[in-house]
Amino acid sequence: MYFVELAVKGLVYGCMYAMMAVGLTLVYGLLRILHIAHAGVFALGAFVAVIVANTTGSLALGFVLATAVSAILGVAIYRFAYQPLLAHPPFVPMIVSIGIFIVLQEGFRMVFGAYGIAFDTNPWYVSTVELAGVRLNQVEVAMVIASIVLLVGFGLFASLTRAGIGWRATVTDPQMATSFGVDPIRVRYLNFIFGSGLAGIAGALVGLLNNYVEPTMGGLVSYKALAIIVLGGLGSVRGTLIASLILGVVESYGTIYLADVFDRDAIGFLFLIVVLMMRPQGLLGRG
Amino acid sequence: MTTLARIDDLHISFGGVAAVSGLSFAVNAGEFLAVIGPNGAGKTTALRMMAGILRPDSGRIFFDDQDVTSLPAHARVRLGLGFTHQIVRPFYSFSTIENVMLAAGHRRTESPWRALFERSRQAARDKAAAILERIGLAEQITKSPRSLPLGQRKRLEVARAIALDPRLLLLDEPLAGLSSTEAATMADLIRTLPALGITVVLVEHNLGEVLRVADRIVVLDAGKVLAEGPPAQVMARADVREAYTGVV
Amino acid sequence: MSGYIASLVSVIGINMILALSLNIITGFCGQVSLGHAAFYGIGAYTAAYLSKLGVPLALTLPAGAAMAGLIGIVVGLTSLRVRHDFLAVTTMGIGFVFLGFVRKQKWLGAELGISGIPAPGLDPLVYALLIVAIAGLIIVFCVWTKRSWMGFAFDAVADDEDAARTVGINVPVYKLTAFGIGTALAGLAGGLYVYFARIILPDTFDFVQSIAILTMVVIGGSGSVWGVVASTIALTLLPEVSRAASDYRLLIFGAMLILVMRFSPGGLAAWARRYLARRQAA
Repeated sequence: MYFVELAVKGLVYGCMYAMMAVGLTLVYGLLRILHIAHAGVFALGAFVAVIVANTTGSLALGFVLATAVSAILGVAIYRFAYQPLLAHPPFVPMIVSIGIFIVLQEGFRMVFGAYGIAFDTNPWYVSTVELAGVRLNQVEVAMVIASIVLLVGFGLFASLTRAGIGWRATVTDPQMATSFGVDPIRVRYLNFIFGSGLAGIAGALVGLLNNYVEPTMGGLVSYKALAIIVLGGLGSVRGTLIASLILGVVESYGTIYLADVFDRDAIGFLFLIVVLMMRPQGLLGRG
Repeated sequence: MTTLARIDDLHISFGGVAAVSGLSFAVNAGEFLAVIGPNGAGKTTALRMMAGILRPDSGRIFFDDQDVTSLPAHARVRLGLGFTHQIVRPFYSFSTIENVMLAAGHRRTESPWRALFERSRQAARDKAAAILERIGLAEQITKSPRSLPLGQRKRLEVARAIALDPRLLLLDEPLAGLSSTEAATMADLIRTLPALGITVVLVEHNLGEVLRVADRIVVLDAGKVLAEGPPAQVMARADVREAYTGVV
Repeated sequence: MSGYIASLVSVIGINMILALSLNIITGFCGQVSLGHAAFYGIGAYTAAYLSKLGVPLALTLPAGAAMAGLIGIVVGLTSLRVRHDFLAVTTMGIGFVFLGFVRKQKWLGAELGISGIPAPGLDPLVYALLIVAIAGLIIVFCVWTKRSWMGFAFDAVADDEDAARTVGINVPVYKLTAFGIGTALAGLAGGLYVYFARIILPDTFDFVQSIAILTMVVIGGSGSVWGVVASTIALTLLPEVSRAASDYRLLIFGAMLILVMRFSPGGLAAWARRYLARRQAA
């Protein structure tokens, strides 16, 4: 049963990674930019959630505001940092993104302190649920449910609504889409709103999961999300989702079996490098 | 007539669709060979396989009786094979003359170790200036390719290829996008190359110019050779005209 | 006072070697590397480990450089396989794999690193001058390379790899050359750091360090030798000159990255060139 437990825990982490990674792959697919600042959006969501929850006592409000504030930050980053630099090679906006990430992380450290903030009341953390002999706490369950609901919702949106189809068209062939009347700017805003909002929710959930929020929490998840989007084939949402789950599980087993050689964070990247050497286009990327 | 290059039973597919299936033809030393055919016939694909930019799924490519099928593009350049792209690719961060200089000095970049100790760019500069003069770009040598109109960029592409001292030059639609006067000038320019010792293989859609300047034509259709021979003879064939119905 | 100066000069020298070495990979040859600190670390750990076994400085420094260069070439081989965009993440990954490995290895001191490294056997000021001399040689090498045909070929590879192939440039070999030289020099910096600090910790070679090195390159002007020299000196001195700057060091780095790339992506060098061109025109 240990085997199963590792797999389940791995999938839970995979869902968390997926919520982060989807935002990244959406940005890459549209703009060819590695949106490293996404880590800051994630952490901001967590901070907003914990502060709102602690001040107002309402976790729900915390989540709502986390989503909203993260979405706004994401769009602002696009508008003021990326949009003016689209004519430059992607290296340039990527460096700006790294700068933004550093500024955000340091900003959090200066404002909230290096040790972070804990949730005053966190009912979900304590209560657990048993599923096929594996003990999961409510936050982990919420994470899985949230990711499924949100991603399926996005999938439906992308295939069924006008805006969604317009978005998909823009990603595949921007010029063609524009000639059909799709507004590329609106598509980009939509992209960042959804991706960043998702990251904000993920941040809030991870904060709940660990029971506290600290300034550097965005970094590690973000690095792994970057590895994931490469594994999944940059720009492919489906690939990203699958790669997220795979990474979660690989990390879960890897931490146990490679515990003496590498630490947890290295395992994901090691896996990425090994895969890339065998399949340079990623696990699911097109050749 | 000596055979300078030969392709033998080439096959390549993209995403399950065969672009080239069992393609074979030879290139004679000193000739001006045009490869024509309707859209999707596999002309550019064949040329790119000869240049080493694409790997065929099966088949062989010979240059000077040497099997170059597994040689990478840069190695084929060193053997004397030049190539120009359909969509021109100058080095945009270099000036016009620097683009040609790099090619003119290709012997110096053969190995990094050797390149480290080669400092002088004067010889390459002189050679590049001479080529650019002959090709009509003398006024543009310090300009960035970004500021050149398409016709001049195409000439730059050809100049750069010539500077490699190739024995065989593969040109991918050098006339595409040019006005009729520019196309005629370019065709005349390329026509002079065999006399300078450069065998030319040209893929083109602009039949008017091609039929005027080519020694021999190979017609491709659906990834195979349909006909080959002197222009007048080939174009008189019914099956060739049929393949082109609506295009000519 | 002379101890402080020796210290400062040593740090500037080491940073300069690091920045110039990354400049060869990213600036000259156009290969993004977000994991450069790993090679700094490989050189440092190699030199540190050997020094504790009694191997003299004259051998540990080249050993560190060689180890870093060798692994750098292996990493360079990955750059050949993957696309441009992938390279950034892959090199970032190399950094994490190195860190993750070193943190777990007991024989390398795990989380506590290696301490008690023997002294270099030179007066601190003399050691500082040694570092500066080495940095000076590297500056000469970089300027030489830029003017040589190797620099010309690098420029082509950085501009358009496929076009470079069509002018006969063996792109893979040139990329590996850039990686090999750049990483070996980073390893050399690592060895020099070891005798300066006398103790090394894994965290010194983390992603933040890779970004700090990248910052020095980018702000100076990726590809420009003098730009990188100037920015390294400025960015190293800044925390010394201003106490506030020291506390907010990382914040300032981040802000500078944003501002420089947003308004002058070619860095200081490009700004200087524009300024001089305007002066000439006037």
